[in-house]
Amino acid sequence: MADHKKHIILMVSDFFYPNFGGVENHIYYLSQCLLKLGHKVVVMTHAYGNRTGVRYMTGGLKVYYVPWRPFLMQNTLPTFYGTLPIIRTILIREKISLVHGHQAFSTLCHEALMHARTMGYKVVFTDHSLYGFADVGSIHMNKVLQFTLADVSQAICVSHTSKENTVLRSGLPPEKVFVIPNAVDTAMFKPGPERPLGNEIVIVVISRLVYRKGADLLVEVIPEVCHLYPNVRFVVGGDGPKRVRLEEMREKHSLQDRVEMLGAVPHARVQSVLISGHIFLNSSLTEAFCIAILEAASCGLLTVSTRVGGVPEVLPDDMIVLAEPDPGDMVLAIRKAISLLPKIDPQVMHERMKKLYTWHDVAKRTEIVYNRALKCPNQNLLERLSRYLSCGAWAGKLFCLVMIIDVLLLRLVQLWQPEEDIEEVPEFTVSNNHQD
Amino acid sequence: MVEFSNRRFTYTHDHKWPSEEIDVHHIIVRKRNTKGFLVCISAFVLLVNGLLLFLVKDISVGILSWSFFLTAILIKLMFWKSVVKESVVVMPAFGVQLETHYVSGRIARRFVPIGKILKPVLLECVTPITCYWSLSLILRGEADLMLVFKELHPPMKMLVPIWKALCIACGSEESSDTSIKDG
Repeated sequence: MADHKKHIILMVSDFFYPNFGGVENHIYYLSQCLLKLGHKVVVMTHAYGNRTGVRYMTGGLKVYYVPWRPFLMQNTLPTFYGTLPIIRTILIREKISLVHGHQAFSTLCHEALMHARTMGYKVVFTDHSLYGFADVGSIHMNKVLQFTLADVSQAICVSHTSKENTVLRSGLPPEKVFVIPNAVDTAMFKPGPERPLGNEIVIVVISRLVYRKGADLLVEVIPEVCHLYPNVRFVVGGDGPKRVRLEEMREKHSLQDRVEMLGAVPHARVQSVLISGHIFLNSSLTEAFCIAILEAASCGLLTVSTRVGGVPEVLPDDMIVLAEPDPGDMVLAIRKAISLLPKIDPQVMHERMKKLYTWHDVAKRTEIVYNRALKCPNQNLLERLSRYLSCGAWAGKLFCLVMIIDVLLLRLVQLWQPEEDIEEVPEFTVSNNHQD
Repeated sequence: MVEFSNRRFTYTHDHKWPSEEIDVHHIIVRKRNTKGFLVCISAFVLLVNGLLLFLVKDISVGILSWSFFLTAILIKLMFWKSVVKESVVVMPAFGVQLETHYVSGRIARRFVPIGKILKPVLLECVTPITCYWSLSLILRGEADLMLVFKELHPPMKMLVPIWKALCIACGSEESSDTSIKDG
């Protein structure tokens, strides 16, 4: 019976609506499905412009937009202890049973997990990205991750490659890490009623035009494909610093009529762009999962992608053509995809995607992780400190010091605002007046 | 007369004489000796420090007067803005008067005509360090909400009867779902 216990979950990340992206979508859809399973979900993020305070979203999803301003790449300033009072207040007033942090980039996530563990809550962490081991940024990020994951109850990764990467970076025991892939909202990403007619083949690219997403590969691949196939046209959606290079390539090879640059595409318009094409091209140089591929497949497009990170795990072999992140190999993959096009039925592909990737399934699997996390034994401060101490000769001592200060600050905050002064929020049910 | 308390506040509700129509709700700050004690200690330390410097170190009267001046400023800062109670006077068909009573005896009053109040709402406020419930008034022709309690953050159980009284006075339906919906 314990496994059917309903949880009150606090999702924490710097990345959430009105921002759009993989992490934001993941938190939103996972929360909605957990609400449908009978759990209570509260999201905590930083303020976005004028969007501060408490807001309610579909299905009664409660969101705390804490008035901490982002300072870099949508991240709040890492203060270590500045967020302790507000996190403590939310945990108590919402009667939270478990804290779920998302994305290693998020400073708010790291701080929330640290304070929650200090307060004795069980925590789960989901890693959505892959990182290197060599550059300064990655070394620093990996140390921060090692600190956070030294004390988590359970961790989740979006692919087996991502799990391997996280285990290597953080030193977390592999048995504590679960693989739960992302899903796609198949109701939102449907194929068009009619397949794009005519002899023309449209290849769609939708991604941020940055180095990591392989924009430089596109610069070399597009002219080559256009030269080989006079009936191929490219539609490029997205914006970024590498857009200039694509514009230059278009001018240089006189491809203005064959390469359409859409600029930034709002999430609501992605489906209408996808259904205008036959092939989806993903040129990422690193990817933990790649939801864009799922969205394209759900719209009935055959995918051509670089064989990087967790991409080979995402789709069945007959739905995707993989290539090395090399222009020559990618051109060969596109040639293969064009030859496979007559066999592709968008409607059949969509129906398969419906069965393969559902957010309900993701929520059910996440629920199992929550149940396991709540069964983890409680540890006293000394046991926890010994785990931090094993994080490195100097780093271990530093982590211990950070945690000791956190414990002392918690005692101070408890004196300043005793638990009985924090009101628990009343329960209320959301009535659905509309028919689904 | 209705009255109940918690660790920090006392809520009282009575009807103003001679007319039973006028509804008065008070949120009274309960005496907390910690603050006064800290102020007294700080003032004492400042004064003693000044006197010692004046007597032992043979330093000018200027330093002594400065210590007196700083002590006075400290006491003023702590007590001038300190609130004793906040009141809501509901006058049906006329308006709502919001009062803030300070330790110094000063009373700040704000009057809102009944016709200007569109709806009283209970909202959750979030600051960078805490969350609390607040009672606000949605006013006609104004983008910003008006806080009923400017200085104090009483608990929800004290706000609910005031909210209900305001709803009745304004003729708006009591609806518990007062938060903004998004999505």
